[in-house]
Amino acid sequence: MLAMTTALAEFPALEALSPQTLEASGLSLARGGLRLVEGLDLALAPSGALLLTGPNGTGKTTLLRALAGLVRPDAGAVAIGDQPASQVAADTLGWLGHADGLKPNETLRRALRFWADMHGTPRTAILPLMRVMGIGALIDRPAGQLSRGQQRRAGLVRVALANRPLWLLDEPAGPLDGAGRDRLAELVAWHRSRGGSVIAATHQTLDWPGAAMLDLGMYR
Amino acid sequence: MSRLGAVFAREARLAWSGGGGPAGPAAFFLAAITLAPLAIGPSPELLAAAGPGLMGFAALLSVLQSAERLYGDDFSDGTLDLYALSPMGLSLLCLAKTLGQGIATLWPLPVIVLLGGLMYGVPLQPSLMLAAALAAAIPALVLLAGFAGALAAGVRRSGLLIALIAAPMMVPVLIFAAGAGRAGFEGDERALANLVLTASVSLGTIALVPFGIAAAVRSRLG
Repeated sequence: MLAMTTALAEFPALEALSPQTLEASGLSLARGGLRLVEGLDLALAPSGALLLTGPNGTGKTTLLRALAGLVRPDAGAVAIGDQPASQVAADTLGWLGHADGLKPNETLRRALRFWADMHGTPRTAILPLMRVMGIGALIDRPAGQLSRGQQRRAGLVRVALANRPLWLLDEPAGPLDGAGRDRLAELVAWHRSRGGSVIAATHQTLDWPGAAMLDLGMYR
Repeated sequence: MSRLGAVFAREARLAWSGGGGPAGPAAFFLAAITLAPLAIGPSPELLAAAGPGLMGFAALLSVLQSAERLYGDDFSDGTLDLYALSPMGLSLLCLAKTLGQGIATLWPLPVIVLLGGLMYGVPLQPSLMLAAALAAAIPALVLLAGFAGALAAGVRRSGLLIALIAAPMMVPVLIFAAGAGRAGFEGDERALANLVLTASVSLGTIALVPFGIAAAVRSRLG
């Protein structure tokens, strides 16, 4: 089943990625005065995948935000390549937060065109990527009329359109159905085949080949 | 440059399609200037004299009234994260975003001010002066509202906070813009000076406030 869809999916030819390593050392994070993570080290090589797991409230989202440079860690540092994450995040990260960043009145065509332009990706890549995620027919629908799962798929298309080497995904499979999860796995496999790497916080079991696991519950 | 244009166009389009675009501030403004004479009284001299100041004041309130949406929606739907991680500098992006939204929603105000001025019995010349001063004041008003909106993004009942933060900062623009109309009405040559001062405050805020908005956005996201 998975093999068949892989054969059908046609990914657009995008400009080659420049693969990056990501390294966090001695990371300590707190939220609202509550210590979430202490002395965390992690490293991710090009083509790597890392799944963050752990019960609710263990700091998966906060860790992702710290890796993206959106949250300043209490201690420790995050480096992408050999530079601090906060300085190079904009040129190296594809970000999918817990919200998809879609506007209810904006059609997917308009929204994705905007993000393609922002990241200097040709607009011709939009439709192929939407087809990969199985939402090619929804291109002229306003995001507000889509289901949560369809919105998530659109968010993933936006991440792919950014054409950045490091993907940080917060619950990418959360609202996705089985077929959606298969398509997500394909998208991630394509990204990794190009030298890109992925860190995803997840409650679902994601069968991504060779993905490392990090249980943040252990850091409690 | 094309990214700047893309953000400006998107924000203008979203403001237009999102919540009625210019209709909200325009309706608020119209209501304020049509109700005020009922409170002030029907004396033509009094109305003409109070007109310019009253309209500057009503314009300020209608900018504040629409400020909550400026950054609040983007904060809750995740757009602000994406903007902070976009390859364009956040300050520049905030400038394009705020002006795009502001101009898309507030463009009718100078027109209404012109008509309102005539309605209040202010002669054409000072009415034009007042409309020009208000047009010059809009960038400053909307950027200051945007700064307060960014500081209050994601806060419950942010409208109250925005009014408290932005209103004091809007004082100089209000004084200069309304002053231009008043001086024009009194036949004082300081009208032009007030207009130029309004424009200079606007230029100053364009140069400085985007950095404040970007810092506020980062602190709200962190």
